[in-house]
Amino acid sequence: MATASDDVRKKLKALGTKVTKEIEAKESPRIEIPVRGLSNVEYDEKSGLLKLGGQVSKRSFLNYAHAKKFMQTMLVANFAYNELLKTGIHTSLRDMFYALKRTLPGSNENTFEEQIESDHCVVDLEVSVDTLREDLHLSADVRGRVVGPVVIKDRGDTIDWAKLGSGGWAIPSNVEEIEFKKVDAKFILVIEKNAAFERLHEDRYWEKNNCIIVTTQGQAARGPRRLIQRLSTEYKLPVYVFTDGDAYGWYIYSVIKYGSMALAHTSDRLGTPDAKFLGLTMKDIEKYKLEKYTIKAKPVDIKRAKDMMKYDWFQTKAWQNELKTMLEKGYKAELEALSSKGLKFITETYLPEKIKNKDFLE
Amino acid sequence: MVDIHKDFAEHSVAEFFKKNRQMLGYSGKIKSLTTVVHEYVTNALDACEEAGIPPDLYIQVEKLGQEHYKVIVEDNGPGIPKKLVGKAFGKMLAGTKFHRFQQARGQQGIGGAGCVMYGQVTTGKPTKVVTSNGNGTIYECRLTIDVKINEAKIADEKEYSGQMRGTRIETELKDVLYQKSDQNPDEYLRRTALANPHVKFTYINPDSLTTVYDRAIDAVPPMPKASQPHPKGITVDDLLSMTSNTTARTTKSFLTTEFSRMSSAKADEVQKQTSFDMNKRPKDLTWEEAEQVVSAIKKMTFIAPPTDVLIPISESHLEKALENILKPEFKSVLTRPASVYSGGVPFVVEVALAYSGKAGKQIPEGSSPEQFQDRMEIMRFANRVPLLFDSGGCGITKAVQSVEWKRYGLQPDLPLTVLVNFTSIHVPYTGAGKQAVIDDEDIIKDIRLALMEAGRKLGLYVSGQRRQHESETRLKELMRYVDPVAEALHGLTDTSLTKLKKELKELIEAKYSAGEIEEGNGEELEKVEELEENGNSE
Repeated sequence: MATASDDVRKKLKALGTKVTKEIEAKESPRIEIPVRGLSNVEYDEKSGLLKLGGQVSKRSFLNYAHAKKFMQTMLVANFAYNELLKTGIHTSLRDMFYALKRTLPGSNENTFEEQIESDHCVVDLEVSVDTLREDLHLSADVRGRVVGPVVIKDRGDTIDWAKLGSGGWAIPSNVEEIEFKKVDAKFILVIEKNAAFERLHEDRYWEKNNCIIVTTQGQAARGPRRLIQRLSTEYKLPVYVFTDGDAYGWYIYSVIKYGSMALAHTSDRLGTPDAKFLGLTMKDIEKYKLEKYTIKAKPVDIKRAKDMMKYDWFQTKAWQNELKTMLEKGYKAELEALSSKGLKFITETYLPEKIKNKDFLE
Repeated sequence: MVDIHKDFAEHSVAEFFKKNRQMLGYSGKIKSLTTVVHEYVTNALDACEEAGIPPDLYIQVEKLGQEHYKVIVEDNGPGIPKKLVGKAFGKMLAGTKFHRFQQARGQQGIGGAGCVMYGQVTTGKPTKVVTSNGNGTIYECRLTIDVKINEAKIADEKEYSGQMRGTRIETELKDVLYQKSDQNPDEYLRRTALANPHVKFTYINPDSLTTVYDRAIDAVPPMPKASQPHPKGITVDDLLSMTSNTTARTTKSFLTTEFSRMSSAKADEVQKQTSFDMNKRPKDLTWEEAEQVVSAIKKMTFIAPPTDVLIPISESHLEKALENILKPEFKSVLTRPASVYSGGVPFVVEVALAYSGKAGKQIPEGSSPEQFQDRMEIMRFANRVPLLFDSGGCGITKAVQSVEWKRYGLQPDLPLTVLVNFTSIHVPYTGAGKQAVIDDEDIIKDIRLALMEAGRKLGLYVSGQRRQHESETRLKELMRYVDPVAEALHGLTDTSLTKLKKELKELIEAKYSAGEIEEGNGEELEKVEELEENGNSE
């Protein structure tokens, strides 16, 4: 722990020293930040992960358009260096925003107006000094829960994921220090929606099928993604992703499997290339006669589906068919549509059939 | 002193006026008041200038009651001989200006008498005239017009000793209205002062507010020369009215003596195209024969008319006038070379753009009376006379609006005054009210060219200003970031805080105080996929 934070402190200090030297040399002080977003993301077929490309943008203090962000980035760097890493304190993005927000003298302008501004600075720092927010002692989202036949050790406490009542274990933002004591599962089922997770947990699906079930509660936060990756790689467990049959659901799957475009620099630690998409698929809708329970696709769904058809990592025949069918049919379906067949249909019919037949999209 | 009183001629149109007063500018309560001020001021200026005296005018508009005002105009001119007072103010078309081809403020000699008539018709009261040539005797009378015979009726004549030179005239008016507007006497005089920098105006408005426009130049501008009309500019009607004043015995000699550029050979050319004998007495010409002459002229070519008969305000005088009255931050003034319209009438276009200072107009914005929005203001002039009405139908307005101001970086919300003065022997007004110039292609083109050139110059200045301003704003904003950046760097590296602050400030100043701005290229860092946005904050 101490070494990790020392290492990050060294990197932050190096950034400060570089900028200070530029100022002394009467040059425009600047920070180099790899460009994030689709234009600078490459799909690495070998690893099956999204990687950050080589484009770098320069954030210069003397450029009027960059000046404020430059100032903000420096404030965040100093905050992590002195307030968090030096003292060993961890905090949330929101806390940091409040700690750094103040009014600039003689103006109505604040150092940060919205939390999104300081959030962006954190990601910028992560990529520019090549670290992770967890290592900056900043916690990301705490979202996502897990149950299953697993025993872990966390900050000295032994926790049995099978004995946590109805709630399950809330996945923290940093799972690096979690120690797995016992893992008896055969696979991991990742569920987008909390309601479906509750249903499965109530039926003790994980016990009957000897698996781990995780809910991401929407787009997967970093904690659950890292946890899924660790379990998958350390215990060779297959990962099945179960989401709504729409662009949003497919994207959740994509992020879990390949890493995200915004955080492509973290794919190595957050992506699980072996993950498979279980459903809900367009074929499921036909097979289980769910047409009546579909929803008309909105323009934004159509647009996203079209965009995804172009992504390098969606070029498999199965996925191209899936996206094409969606565009042809013009509908999407939520996984709750399966409940139209009865409340136990998911646990007793749908999931066992899908898994037994290996009916996945890849 | 020049004798300016010898060629008064008589015309009986008083009754016509009474029935058609709207044609002469007496339509609407606001316009009528401004028209009276205009007519008296024009007469006063002409009297002074013809006598070579730098005009010093006193104007007062006094409120007497509901829609009831008194207009007083006093000049320092040569005064009017007692014998001619009746003719000068009591007779329509009695002036020296009618049937003369000379650049002049008015054109029909109906002005002064029209005011007397308007006062008389609306209040039943006579106009008071006080005049003296400065010899120690002052003459005073009250006059009205006998409409039937177009003669002045003079009453209460007095002569007394006293020191005065000039003429003072007082007329009471009803059915007129003074109100805040850019068509009231205040604005009329402001604009008149702009176009006549050699005149001093002292003006007291109905709210008893005194405004003094001092002269910006001392010399009286040279009097425009009278000239003969150019054949190309003539109409059948003009031709026939000229025949009544000529001493020529034949139509041919009438043409060669009364027109410029009409040689004997050219007159013969006209003869070839007409069916009547040009030895005919000009007074006997019929309308049809006159028509033949005019259409023959249309097919012929003539040497262009002389342009030295036009006296524009001049660039330097306009500049001084702008300085004096609008005090603009920047001005761009241009006098175009003389040009001709309708084939032969010479004219000169002058434009002035005045930016900031007192230029432009302010229109209220929002509910608060203190909030104003700057707007471009168009000032139209014909022979130095401001045109305040009928702006929509005016060729000058069309020319101003046809310029793409935005191309020069001039937005409509700038404090900008656009002044256009159209100088000509014959101003082609759209109507007898003389408030708008026709939208003739040649005229509009010339005005446009002048405005575009002046606009380019102003545009360069304004964009430079904007850059300077922007640069200052940016410098100020960046300075705010010095402390946080210095503190952060101090925290990371332990470098001296004072040193960091000093060096950062120097860097910003070096870049931004030069008035230079770098067009910031926005960063591409934030193109984060929309779908992921909900994952990053707590």
